[in-house]
Amino acid sequence: MTAVDPQSAGRFRFLASFLAGRSLGVGEAPPGEAAYTDGQFVFVSAGRSIAEQRQEVLVQSALLGAGSLERHLVTALRGRPTVARRYLALEGRRVLANLAAELPLAAAVRPAEAPATSTADESLRVAKGRSAVAEAPAWFGVIRPSRLLAAPAGRSGAQPSERDLRLSFDPTDVPEAEDEGSGGRGGRSRLLELFGNPLASNKLSDLFNKLLGSSRSPGGGAAGGNMPLRTMRRVESVASSARPLPVPIRFTTSGTTGSSVGVGGALYPEWDVFNNRYRPEHCRVFDYPLATPADVSDAAVRHDDVLRRRLSRVGLGPKVLRRRPDGDDLDLEALIDLFVDVQAGFSPPEQMYLERRKLARNLGVLILLDASGSATDTDPRGRSVHDHQRRAAATLALTLEELGDRVAVYGFRSQGRGAVRLPAIKPFGQRFGAAARARLNGLRPAGYTRLGAGIRRAGEILKTEAGTPNRLLLVLSDGFPYDDDGYESRYAEADSRKALEELRADGIACLCLSIGASTSTDALHRVFGSASHANAPTLADLSPRMDELFLSALRELAAPKPRGLRASPS
Amino acid sequence: MLAPTPTRAAAPFYRPLADEMEVFRAAARRGLPVLLKGPTGCGKTRFVEAMAHELGRELITVGGHEDLTSADLVGRFLLKGGETVWVDGPLTRAVREGAICYLDEVVEARQDTTVVLHPLADHRRELPVDRLGVTLRAAPGFQLVISYNPGYQSVLKNIKESTRQRFVAIELDFHPPDVEAEVVAHEAGVDLETARALVKVGGAIRKLDGAQLREVASTRLLIMAGGLVAEGLGLRSAVQSAIVRALSDDPDVIRALGELIDAVLPRA
Repeated sequence: MTAVDPQSAGRFRFLASFLAGRSLGVGEAPPGEAAYTDGQFVFVSAGRSIAEQRQEVLVQSALLGAGSLERHLVTALRGRPTVARRYLALEGRRVLANLAAELPLAAAVRPAEAPATSTADESLRVAKGRSAVAEAPAWFGVIRPSRLLAAPAGRSGAQPSERDLRLSFDPTDVPEAEDEGSGGRGGRSRLLELFGNPLASNKLSDLFNKLLGSSRSPGGGAAGGNMPLRTMRRVESVASSARPLPVPIRFTTSGTTGSSVGVGGALYPEWDVFNNRYRPEHCRVFDYPLATPADVSDAAVRHDDVLRRRLSRVGLGPKVLRRRPDGDDLDLEALIDLFVDVQAGFSPPEQMYLERRKLARNLGVLILLDASGSATDTDPRGRSVHDHQRRAAATLALTLEELGDRVAVYGFRSQGRGAVRLPAIKPFGQRFGAAARARLNGLRPAGYTRLGAGIRRAGEILKTEAGTPNRLLLVLSDGFPYDDDGYESRYAEADSRKALEELRADGIACLCLSIGASTSTDALHRVFGSASHANAPTLADLSPRMDELFLSALRELAAPKPRGLRASPS
Repeated sequence: MLAPTPTRAAAPFYRPLADEMEVFRAAARRGLPVLLKGPTGCGKTRFVEAMAHELGRELITVGGHEDLTSADLVGRFLLKGGETVWVDGPLTRAVREGAICYLDEVVEARQDTTVVLHPLADHRRELPVDRLGVTLRAAPGFQLVISYNPGYQSVLKNIKESTRQRFVAIELDFHPPDVEAEVVAHEAGVDLETARALVKVGGAIRKLDGAQLREVASTRLLIMAGGLVAEGLGLRSAVQSAIVRALSDDPDVIRALGELIDAVLPRA
């Protein structure tokens, strides 16, 4: 068998996990390389037959399961290929012989001769010695100490998070914003200003700053003054999934600021986690009707039957159903009617019960669609995250509207704290008609994600305009909160969490979906909590459990506060 | 939906795991309600059947589902001819007759339904039937048994604390491999060697990380596979149809499970 389906190695993953006693993946090594393992995956040699690959998986994962590839043992093998080969020959025979009693497969394939050693340490000692060791069969593969040791000890097989992959120079001592005035007296650098703006952050100019050894300029200008002194840390080895930094794409339409269409915007506070206080009137948020002309022919929305069925099950309040064939109580009116009919000589169907079911909805949903630049990342099929999210927003809005809920769709992006924009694609009052759909399709990603301010404004809109007792904010976002003026990591997460807290205190439920995001969305998970965040490659993957997601987000409101918060008497 | 199970003539086969039979007997003497916890197919229902038989009480079983209302348990008025007639629900019947009422997978039921059980499950031992305007005292011998599966239910569904604290909890689990092999051999009517092979398959699947499969191979699945073998099917194909295909619909998972089972089963 020469042409083996490259996916087929995955069929051994349960076998490998079983043998190793922990979750283990199976993949194919590059052609020409022998089988090996890195502790997370077993790589089988490409192009071999299934039976041979099975044997390779067997021996490699059995070695992991028996503890023969523990750190202290493998360290002794590093840089000594002969010892490693001898050790593999000894250990492979030993673990297979041990397994043979338990596992018929191991008994069938193991080499006939008895193992020469009885523990891993003994095998290592013999391997280092000079006594003759029978050569291992080719299917034992090889031990690659460097690959085994490269895997971080503590973290087992977690995907690299967005933070790990980002080119970042960790600030070790960020000066407080307050002591700007007391800075050094260095010259103001024109050169640095050149590099200050065009990228997603000031990283490059920071780098130059460091290289050129410039100190901070006096407080007058913005360019050098708010540039923190930092030290750099080399990024650890980058995996194959590394990508270039996302670069925001600006289209002319995104330049339409709120002021240019005559809206003044509203000011919102922001939570400053470092000083444990709100910054009052910190962000200016514009929401304005998106008035870009759009091609109406470009307005097809995919229907999702599963989603529709699931969402139609979301019942929030009890509703009494009359004249049911089955139920808890007799419906007296129906009963009297029935008797009248019977006395009059008819025989109508006996539907005279009352049934109480949770069917009433009264739900208002605001879909907040992340339209920031980071959503330009593309998936392997060339469809950007933003495309996925836009389609998901359209499908969700259409489905909810068909089910009779109040729906609004807003885009969302920011450009510093002075310009957080929420273009209204479909306000609560309008129908999700062809024009609105076309506008949604025409939305182009740009800018950053100041999540806290966006959530606060969206909550305000929900509060004032939805007009329903049950309100849900549905955020479609792919990454993590970030803006170009220091709104990032811990500060941004804390602010977003605070904004969600405020919203929940006001009785608005929140649910965040990450659709099509290729990277891990740890930050959103932390911000929204596990009950209110879900991610999937496409909306269709989430549809089957959308009713649970909606209900769990809405139930979060009714759930009691954690003990620690409730305990203190006020 | 509602299936009263008549007690069988022959004693149902049950192998105790630990002291659960003594605990149940003691609780039965005191009339204390019992909560059974354990994974799917580990023998919860069989345990209750065995105990009911041993104690000589009738067993009334109700399967929980998400639309189970209190009227389904307590009873309702039905129209018969020209009159409305009250018909007892399974719970009311058990209360009147002093039977064991077993509510299977009670978490599935709506929370307002489980509240009906509260006055029955504490010292009052009474069932208010508000539609009739009467309060029934439980006959001696009445015992409430509920079961639930902590791993299988979603985070959203859980037993209310106030309900849970009224019950004596008994935790069941799969038997150790040797005992489970005897159980499979006895129930399926296969020889001990085949049963051991099946139990080994079950053990291998249970050893996999929970994240990869939603459910593990229960004793019930193993007995089913054993039954197929007893009917003359080959061991491999019995395991394929009764266990592998029952656990997953995903072709990748089925193939991966097939590889695992192929390695564990004795070579042909």
